[in-house]
Amino acid sequence: MLKTEELQINIGPQHPSTHGVFRMLVTVDGETVIDLKPVFGYLHRNHEQLAEQNTYLQNMPYTDRLDYFNSMANNQAYAMAVEKLAGIEVPERAEYIRVLMVELTRILNHAGALGFLINDMGMWQTQLAFGMREREKILDLFESASGARLMCNYFRFGGVARDLPPDFLPRLKDLLRAMPAFVDEMERLLCENDILMQRSEGVGILPRDLALAYSVTGPVLRGSGVAYDIRKAEPYSIYDRFDFDVPVGTVGDVYDRFLVRVEEMRQSKRIIEQILEQLPDAQGGHINPKARQNVRPPVGDVYARIESPKGELGFYLVSDGSTKPYRYKVRAPSFINLTPLGDMCRGYRVADMVVILGSIDIVMGEVDR
Amino acid sequence: MAIHIERGNIVEVARGPRKRRMVPGSALLDGLAVVWTHWRESFRMNRDFSDIHGTFTQEYPDEQPKLPEAYRNMPILLYDDASGHELCTSCFQCARICPPQVIHMTQAKDPVTGKPVPAVAEFIIEYDACMSCGFCAEVCPFDAIKMDHNFELSTVDHPGLTVHKQELLRPISYYQRIAPTFWAEAEAGAMKKLQGNVKRRPDVIGLAPQLTEMLAARRRELAEQAAAAPPAPAAPAAAPAGEARKLTPEEKAAKLAAIKAKNAGAKGEAPPAAATPPATEGMSPAEAKAAKLAAIRAKNATKETAPAPPAAAAAPSTEGMSPAEAKAAKLAAIRAKNAAKNAAEGSAPPAETAAPTAEAAAPAAETAPLDAKAAKLAAIRAKNAAKKAAEGGGEG
Repeated sequence: MLKTEELQINIGPQHPSTHGVFRMLVTVDGETVIDLKPVFGYLHRNHEQLAEQNTYLQNMPYTDRLDYFNSMANNQAYAMAVEKLAGIEVPERAEYIRVLMVELTRILNHAGALGFLINDMGMWQTQLAFGMREREKILDLFESASGARLMCNYFRFGGVARDLPPDFLPRLKDLLRAMPAFVDEMERLLCENDILMQRSEGVGILPRDLALAYSVTGPVLRGSGVAYDIRKAEPYSIYDRFDFDVPVGTVGDVYDRFLVRVEEMRQSKRIIEQILEQLPDAQGGHINPKARQNVRPPVGDVYARIESPKGELGFYLVSDGSTKPYRYKVRAPSFINLTPLGDMCRGYRVADMVVILGSIDIVMGEVDR
Repeated sequence: MAIHIERGNIVEVARGPRKRRMVPGSALLDGLAVVWTHWRESFRMNRDFSDIHGTFTQEYPDEQPKLPEAYRNMPILLYDDASGHELCTSCFQCARICPPQVIHMTQAKDPVTGKPVPAVAEFIIEYDACMSCGFCAEVCPFDAIKMDHNFELSTVDHPGLTVHKQELLRPISYYQRIAPTFWAEAEAGAMKKLQGNVKRRPDVIGLAPQLTEMLAARRRELAEQAAAAPPAPAAPAAAPAGEARKLTPEEKAAKLAAIKAKNAGAKGEAPPAAATPPATEGMSPAEAKAAKLAAIRAKNATKETAPAPPAAAAAPSTEGMSPAEAKAAKLAAIRAKNAAKNAAEGSAPPAETAAPTAEAAAPAAETAPLDAKAAKLAAIRAKNAAKKAAEGGGEG
């Protein structure tokens, strides 16, 4: 008999498959993962402490840099928290614009995330390039409305920074006409692809109970079969006005998470179509004219949360009555979804580990803050 | 399987063996079919250019990208093409809101009087730390700071990314070109405010430093005016900045009043009430009137060097005044305050009596609904002045 020995290896922090500066301390027995410890903190930049030195409005551009794929969703969560704290009303039209932007964000996030997932499976760059192509069209829209592609900084307390430019809606309609073709084609090429199914079916199973115990949210939780979507469970903003389905998986493996994301892109498109119908009748302007940007909320604390493309994104703010938050805490979905990685990877191969990490869809900017 | 919930369903995503392909290699053929569709479509679209959609390669350095108006990269400062004047008045709003705190500026000062002028002396933005959030452009009340569209900023000269005023300044016509509708919205307000500020800028302050020809022309103009004006020994020391300018009738009146006040002060052997001349330049008619009023008040104050309640005199008179008059009264109160102070420094007793009268004036002011605020303010100022005078008198 040959003598075998367990081996501890580090994957990361500088590794192209770790989606950022992230280290996995893996104990392997041959090719099999026996244990995995996620190690993070390499991208820590003092976001929360910094936020306590800034005024409320000054934090808005910093929230863009949390999950830099979804700056609009981060903006919405933070704006909602401050509005709740300071009691600022948001006009109807502003709410529609906000939801429109966040649903576009969801589409672009999933288009990118699926591309990266396929990338991790070894289909180098092809699907990623197609996903990025679709993402680019949405980023062009963001640029025309907010002025920047990624660091949008578009939301203000009581609305959004400026109204939609005149050519925004026609361009959006063009985009929506071309969207189903992209999703259908992706589904046709990938969802039944043998290689993809072999790499993802039964891999990285996160059982329902474990997912709940780890308080995982977003597509990862729904992939495990829990129909929990904050847009349905606790309709914030104007989400109670739209018809859309909540896709859930049955097994909780990588394949389920993949399919849930594909379906979510369709549902987001459905929401956007309803927004386009209802937007012309919406009351009010793009921002509440009475809302002051230099807010001084009354003493108190607040927690506001949204269903960001990655899961529950929450902001906990404590006000001491001054212009700066006394305490500022981000409940980041990427961070919480990353914690069960060890349990998900145990017993699978090293190559699967990278795919499982890709299926969680993390952004290190949000994990480390 | 689908469970109905409010406004939607919970749907289980389809997966499992029923979707798995049974024929080996069919995925490959399916993929080729997709390629074939796109290949065929590329020919179809080439025939009809009106229906072109999709993604195209932009040959970037040769072909500049078309940026939306809202695009923001780095902040720039604007100056007026016609007059060469910068729009910035150094109000510090942008420096205050800037999240990474990279905007620094110093306010321009009148070279003669040393008083602040609504113009900026030096303006620095650290481009290397700027996060391009656009807040500075959003808060600027004078539309002086705007976000540029130039993104070609890469350089090996790191210290060069600390950008000073001269490199930050762009003509308004440039901004108009990159963001026509944004400027159209802002133009009327911005130009009106600029005209108001230009009047209060002496010498060549506020002119964009790179406009050397315009600067030289302005200097020549100033020199000619100085040569043309008769030497004015009688004018107070603080006035020369105003001398170089053409005087409007209002200004003349104000100046006259000031001189009168000075003479009166000299007669009364009290200090000359720190009166009006420096402030008169660039005043509106209403303000000039106010200055005149103030000068008269100051004159009266200095005349009655002994137990005079001058501060109180200003406050009650504001009743039933228009806002412009109330403003004038406010100004008068300040002037009177100075006068009272000087008077108190000169001779001890007066302030004790002044204080109660000022107090009595305050409630009276409340009766005038429209100008109550202004009058009240004036009364409070007067009261404070009287108090200060009392303190000064006690010490002296």
